[in-house]
Amino acid sequence: MSSQANWNSVTGIATLLFDGNLVAIAIAILFTFGVPITLHILFFRAVASPPSSNFLLLGPSGAGKTAFTTLLEAKSSLSNTSPSTHTSQQSTLVTVTLPPTVPTGSNRYRSVNDPSLKEATRNPIRYRVRDTPGHGKLRASQGISELQAMSQSKDIKTKLRGVVFMVDTAALLDEATLRDTATYLHDVLLILQKRAKNGSSSKRTTEIPVLVAANKLDLFTALPPGAVKEKLESEIDRIRKSKTKGLLDASADSGLMDDEEILGNDDQEAFSFKLLEHEVGVKVEVVGGSVKGDPQEELGSGVRRWEEWIGMCL
Amino acid sequence: MLEAFEILTASGVVLWSKSYAPVGAHIINSLINDVFIEEKVVPQSPAAGVSPAYKKEKYTLKWKRVKEFDLIFVAVYQSLLHLGWIDKLLENISTIFIDLYKDQVRGNRARIQTYRFDQYFEQQVRELEDSRGSFVEEYVPETGEKKDPLVSSDNGGPPPPSAPGLVKAQPRAALGGATSDEGTPPSTPDISRTSTPQGHLLTAKAGPGGRGSRRARKAANSSANASSGDEARKGKPVKTPAKKMRKWDASGMADEDDGEILDYSAPAEGDAAVPAVEAVSAEDWGRRTGKGEFVLKELGEEVQSILDHADAEKSKSTASSGVVGSGFNAIGGFFRNVVGGKVLTESDLQKPLKAMEEHLLKKNVAREAAVRLCEGVQRELVGKKTGNFQSIDAALRVAMESSLRKILTPTSSLDLLREINAVVSPTTNQQTPRPYVMSIVGVNGVGKSTNLSKICYFLLQNKYRVLIAACDTFRSGAVEQLRVHADRLKELSVRENAGDVEIYQKGYGKDAANVAKDAVDYAAANKFDVVLIDTAGRRHNDQRLMSSLEKFAKFANPDKIFMVGEALVGTDSVMQARNFNQAFGTGRNLDGFIISKCDTVGDMVGTLVSMVHATGIPIVFLGVGQHYGDLRGLSVPWAVDLLMK
Repeated sequence: MSSQANWNSVTGIATLLFDGNLVAIAIAILFTFGVPITLHILFFRAVASPPSSNFLLLGPSGAGKTAFTTLLEAKSSLSNTSPSTHTSQQSTLVTVTLPPTVPTGSNRYRSVNDPSLKEATRNPIRYRVRDTPGHGKLRASQGISELQAMSQSKDIKTKLRGVVFMVDTAALLDEATLRDTATYLHDVLLILQKRAKNGSSSKRTTEIPVLVAANKLDLFTALPPGAVKEKLESEIDRIRKSKTKGLLDASADSGLMDDEEILGNDDQEAFSFKLLEHEVGVKVEVVGGSVKGDPQEELGSGVRRWEEWIGMCL
Repeated sequence: MLEAFEILTASGVVLWSKSYAPVGAHIINSLINDVFIEEKVVPQSPAAGVSPAYKKEKYTLKWKRVKEFDLIFVAVYQSLLHLGWIDKLLENISTIFIDLYKDQVRGNRARIQTYRFDQYFEQQVRELEDSRGSFVEEYVPETGEKKDPLVSSDNGGPPPPSAPGLVKAQPRAALGGATSDEGTPPSTPDISRTSTPQGHLLTAKAGPGGRGSRRARKAANSSANASSGDEARKGKPVKTPAKKMRKWDASGMADEDDGEILDYSAPAEGDAAVPAVEAVSAEDWGRRTGKGEFVLKELGEEVQSILDHADAEKSKSTASSGVVGSGFNAIGGFFRNVVGGKVLTESDLQKPLKAMEEHLLKKNVAREAAVRLCEGVQRELVGKKTGNFQSIDAALRVAMESSLRKILTPTSSLDLLREINAVVSPTTNQQTPRPYVMSIVGVNGVGKSTNLSKICYFLLQNKYRVLIAACDTFRSGAVEQLRVHADRLKELSVRENAGDVEIYQKGYGKDAANVAKDAVDYAAANKFDVVLIDTAGRRHNDQRLMSSLEKFAKFANPDKIFMVGEALVGTDSVMQARNFNQAFGTGRNLDGFIISKCDTVGDMVGTLVSMVHATGIPIVFLGVGQHYGDLRGLSVPWAVDLLMK
């Protein structure tokens, strides 16, 4: 075999490759070592991709959404201070971990002796939280639209597991704040209701529960969670009534909008979260807590019960 | 003097902050709300090197926004003082911070990381103060006595009134803070080896103690509590005894004359690490005070090199000329324009922005509003990268749409029925029910009476008892016109089994404010739910007619004042909105706009934007036809769609 290989014909190349010359050996070595490495990198990437459980943080400005996010972030990176916060202008997505002591909802399918339960301390469950700005002007473009996109999404990576709606319990006594908060919550629940209703019966959509996180319970003027629930329910009831009588939007003429829906059922019963769960299937829970708590206690002890709720959604 | 300096992200997290006096969080929050979100306050077109300013309460805030990293640098100082070097400080600090923490800020732990930035900041403040510090220094002697108790107020006491003494004292505290910083771990070991820590400490302490003023010692002491960043690095023992041993005299002021030096040495005996740190800092301090220079040399050089480097970069980017270079850039720019990922510059945007402005003008947006909108979009876009496969035009369009949406979306949604209910039948016992008063103002012939009767029809359908007050006591036929409307509406409401309507009129020539007041009283006595007040049309630039509105607002005290504006009006809409908004005296503004005759303009609904842009007041209703039922709420997506079409 001459060294001038015949690269033009197939047989020529084949002969060359089986000939045992350096090029062929190099190609073979590259192939044997390269393939497993590429495969490893590919699959390793897939595993390390961000977790697929998303939670959306909504609520009026000043309720403590960003503070809650940074607190979760600080907790999951084991630092002991969380930075102070101001009014947000942008939404952010952060990946945080669930403390190993918080049980997850999927635990009920596991045996007590399941070894993966013990592994939780070493391999904590991660989830993502999207913090949204609560200012009235930014709500529609960042909060509500995000909720719509995430709740309709078919993609597993952006699927929404739950909505956390932050409420400042110390400010709820103020009539204007209460109205603002309840209006926002009303809009959020309306979107979730539409989603639950539109989901065809054959392909059942997973429900998205809502946690009304009654924040700032550490303050003196704070309302207890029970009172928060009552106030919000009665206010939403009033909003619902006035919405049915209100004017149409300008876009109604051009037929862009589908017909207006109202929250809950049409009957004259007063609105309550329980009724909403019963009739529509949107679960709402009110749980108290505080982002900024007692300085003597461990960081973030006030949000423990919210984390438990998040755990139950996972 | 500088009260506080904060570095925060657009998502609202404070990355680093330093405060010399307690400044409420609401000060910076209101800056974000008013300037960045609601755009109520529009910064003047920035001259070179001057940062925009914003005033709130007794503070002035200056800020610098860095688009690339989404960071906002805010400096807060008392409005009484005129600090020329704040602009330079903002400029330098932002350059240094970004240079030092570029990678951290981009990383995903950016929000919770601790940034050890204090010493760089102190260095800058000192340097800039020194360069123009003469007027700062001259006040010091005369306020020397007052200072000590005031400085100690940063332990949580209420902030004292803005006495110049406090203000001047703070840089002193800052100086002390930085000098104790100098004992950072790297430099500690070799110096502590040279001498026995304890003896060294005592002599070193005596130096500044004897030579410097009481104030200087105090400053060094108080800075331990003031700067949070220091605490992490310094041993706790230093801090706690300093706090514990502070004595308070009868008048509640800190008494620090006794045993300040002893306070320091006492914990030092117990802890081996702390005296070393203290010793170094004390020595450095003594030496440097003698020379009158406080700056640690390496730090100063480092900062200088960062700044020089940034300057060089800047000049290089502006000076990169030459035919080959520019030609290459042009090709690259063209390519980027197609593929995306191009960093936008002012010159890139000039042409498309001009086109966008033309487009807005064609949509009947007033020129002033269009120019301001385009400027806002330009500010937002310059320095940003376009997305993948996104041309400049597309990026501009998206930005314009979002800023239109932001303008038109009201800060708090207005649910009129809900508000009427809250007043007419309050849920709490503290409030007594009273009629809800709405009044309508506007230029002649825009459709005040027509829109009033449309609102009336809408309220009647919701079964309210409505009183129409005819306060146009000027134009002949105005009362008769309203009477016709009232008769028609009465007829309709009887047929539809709706609410009840009545008209209240006192003829012509009377004072409108008095008639309005009487009407409200009459409504309260006769249990009406809503009072709708019609007013005479007036030209917005007629001072005599406009001035009567102030009295009107005071007498009738309406819950809502709506202004009717035509969709047809062009550039004048801005002045109309502004003048009417200011006509009701201080503390009273318009509550909303009603844009009438929207059916006559097709998609040229620019007036909506012009009016809201001029005042920041939301649009409540749109009139879209001749019938009583042709009243609509505003739908923001609809309006934005029409405008961008």
